[in-house]
Amino acid sequence: MAEKLIQIEIKRQSGPDAPSTWERFEIPWKPGMNVISAMMEIAANPVNSSGQETTPIAYDSNCLEEICGSCAMVINGKARMACTALVDKLEQPIRVQPLTKFPVVRDLAVDRSVLFENLKAVKAWVPVDGTYDLGSGPRIFPQQQEAAYPLSNCISCCCCMEVCPQFNDATGFVGAATIAQVKLFNSHPSGKVLKEERLRALAGDGGVQECGFAQNCVQACPKQLPLTEAISDVTRDVTLQAAKDFLRA
Amino acid sequence: MATAARPDAHSSPVGRGVEPLRAGKGHSFLLRKLHSLSGIVPIGAFLIEHLLSNFEALKGPLAYAEQVKFLNSLPLVRFLEVGLIFIPLAYHALYGVYIALRGKANVIYYPWSGNWMYMMQRWTGYIAFVYIIQHVIRQRFMGVSLPEHPGAAFHKVQMELSNPWMLAVYVIAMIAVCWHFSYGIWLFAAKWGITPGATARRRFGYLCAALGVILAVMGLASIYAFVGPNYKNAPDDVMPAQTRLVQPMPPQANLTVEIETHA
Repeated sequence: MAEKLIQIEIKRQSGPDAPSTWERFEIPWKPGMNVISAMMEIAANPVNSSGQETTPIAYDSNCLEEICGSCAMVINGKARMACTALVDKLEQPIRVQPLTKFPVVRDLAVDRSVLFENLKAVKAWVPVDGTYDLGSGPRIFPQQQEAAYPLSNCISCCCCMEVCPQFNDATGFVGAATIAQVKLFNSHPSGKVLKEERLRALAGDGGVQECGFAQNCVQACPKQLPLTEAISDVTRDVTLQAAKDFLRA
Repeated sequence: MATAARPDAHSSPVGRGVEPLRAGKGHSFLLRKLHSLSGIVPIGAFLIEHLLSNFEALKGPLAYAEQVKFLNSLPLVRFLEVGLIFIPLAYHALYGVYIALRGKANVIYYPWSGNWMYMMQRWTGYIAFVYIIQHVIRQRFMGVSLPEHPGAAFHKVQMELSNPWMLAVYVIAMIAVCWHFSYGIWLFAAKWGITPGATARRRFGYLCAALGVILAVMGLASIYAFVGPNYKNAPDDVMPAQTRLVQPMPPQANLTVEIETHA
């Protein structure tokens, strides 16, 4: 019986400064296969479609259930999570390339530390560290929890930034994910102690103002975060904070 | 690890890519918000005034001349022109081009409606930019000066639109400008936090679309007034007396006496 094969093309790069090339693979089909498991097959038998032996593909992945945010890559031209990119639902040859707006480390592994830097810049945390016991936090009503929960679903995959026309070298835009986290932590009864600092941070160069409202972020987000709503709300808060600071100066 | 110096974003092993947020630094927030606001007030308000004034052309050359005369009789009109039109418009145009040039449209990869509108807002902006420069130079600063000769307004525009290429430019620019303004209102509401909800944005989108269509139809109708059959070959100046009737002439005798006294 002839084995069913799948065609996959991967944009490869041996290091940050190395040139990139496309490499084609033909691998045996298995039921329920996704792009990550296809690359696991390649790792098990690293031979490309012209029969040459090659190296396994380097990529980030972890949970394989779209919750860790590691395996974002551009698959058939769209930024998405590789673990939920099911082979049976993709047009072949499946073309896989690294996220285009983040520096390539190797093959499909990219450096997404800019998001970490941005989250730090807006203090995206609840400040509870101290030298004494602060006691139990304030109550969060279920209504507040329901509003905050969708925002807490962010997996830091960077898809929203990859698809954003404003997220690029020229603007240095902070991206939707960070803005959504500002809304999340500003709405938290303990987290909002840093609200003004977060809003002032977001009024800096590359802040909320760079959003062009193309709304790609909300379309691409694998976790369906209400990103445009967050951008709208946070921009209003940043504007009001800027006006307050101007009048109180 | 706690004692180690925090590695700078740019000294990371890869150290390239998009720069992180410059928290609290720079003035781009103010400049961008001024750009956004100036598009609504005063430029958007002026656009509506301009389209309403043009609509008077449907009533004929005299009504159009009266409207031009009325606008030029507004108090501090030259100040209004420079302070509320030229300067905000120049700022909106130049900063807008700067914004557009820094965006990297990706509609080919992500052909979603919002993304299309993002790109269209930039292209209609470019069209408006080029069109308005020639429009201001040719209609405000070249040929008959309309503030002094409001009666010549209809004829001046009619001559301009008699060139079919220019007519095409006006039609395209009219649609582009109305598009840019109506989507601009929608963007303003979305970005300033007036319509954060998806449903609110959709509803407001219909409203803005309706406004855009109404403005564009009004604009195209006034273009038709100049090129249509109703007012063909309008006279050079429908208010030729305007410049002469400043004051009644003093009696001739008195004038003679004056001259004699001075002599």
